[in-house]
Amino acid sequence: MIPQLVTVRHRRPDGRQLRLHVPVLPVLLVLAPLLLLALLAGLVTCLIFRVSPVDALRGTGHVLWALPGARFEIEQGRTALSVSVR
Amino acid sequence: MNEQRRQILQMLADGKITADEAERLIDALERELPESPPGATPRLKARPRYLRVVVNWEDDDSGGDGPGRVNIRVPLQLLRAGVRLASLIPPQALTKVNAELNRSGVPVDLTQLKPQHIEDLIEQLDELTVDVDQPDTKVQVFCE
Repeated sequence: MIPQLVTVRHRRPDGRQLRLHVPVLPVLLVLAPLLLLALLAGLVTCLIFRVSPVDALRGTGHVLWALPGARFEIEQGRTALSVSVR
Repeated sequence: MNEQRRQILQMLADGKITADEAERLIDALERELPESPPGATPRLKARPRYLRVVVNWEDDDSGGDGPGRVNIRVPLQLLRAGVRLASLIPPQALTKVNAELNRSGVPVDLTQLKPQHIEDLIEQLDELTVDVDQPDTKVQVFCE
C-alpha cells in the first residue's frame, strides 16, 4: 500500500510547534501534471544511462510501497523534527 | 516428557527425593513451563519488520544545544526495495563512486555488492543487536 499520510512535526527553540499532516494521495493528484513531467524526465534519463525504465519504475514503486511505517525523529535541546509515514 | 521432568523422576527412582518432593518439583516445573496442548505447533517468533536506530547523547557542557536524541525506524522492506533500486545504478557510475570512496579512505567495491547477497544480509538482520555505551552517548541498533 502506498503511503497515505505523512506527518511532519517541528518544534522550534522558542517552544513553538508546527505540525503538518500531508495526505499523500490528494497531493499526488494535485501534482499529477508535474509528476507526468517528472516521469518523462526520468524516462529520458533512463534511456541516456541505459537503465531499463521498467525496472526503474518497478524499483521506485517498491520503495514507495515500503515507506509506510518509516519514522525519523531528531531532537537537539529544545529543537525537534519528526517525520512519520503511515 | 521433557528432560527436567525425567531428571526429577530419576531422582525419585534413585531415592534422592521423596514422592512429595517430586510432586512439588513437577508442579513448580509445570507452572514455570506450561505445556502446549497436544497437536499444537510451537509458536514461531514473529519476524521483525523494522530496523531501529536509537541514539541518545547528553550535553557535554561545551556550549552545545543540550541533550539530543535520534530515533529512526525503517521498515526492512524499505531496505530490500532500496537494494533493488540501487542495483540499477549503471556500472560506470559505480566505478566513479568506488574511486571517490577509495580517495576518501573507504576502500569498498560497490560493484561486488549483489542484490541477493544483501537480501541474505537483511534476512539475518533480525538477529542483530548493537549497543554502544559511552558515558555521555548511547547507540542502539536492533530489529523489532
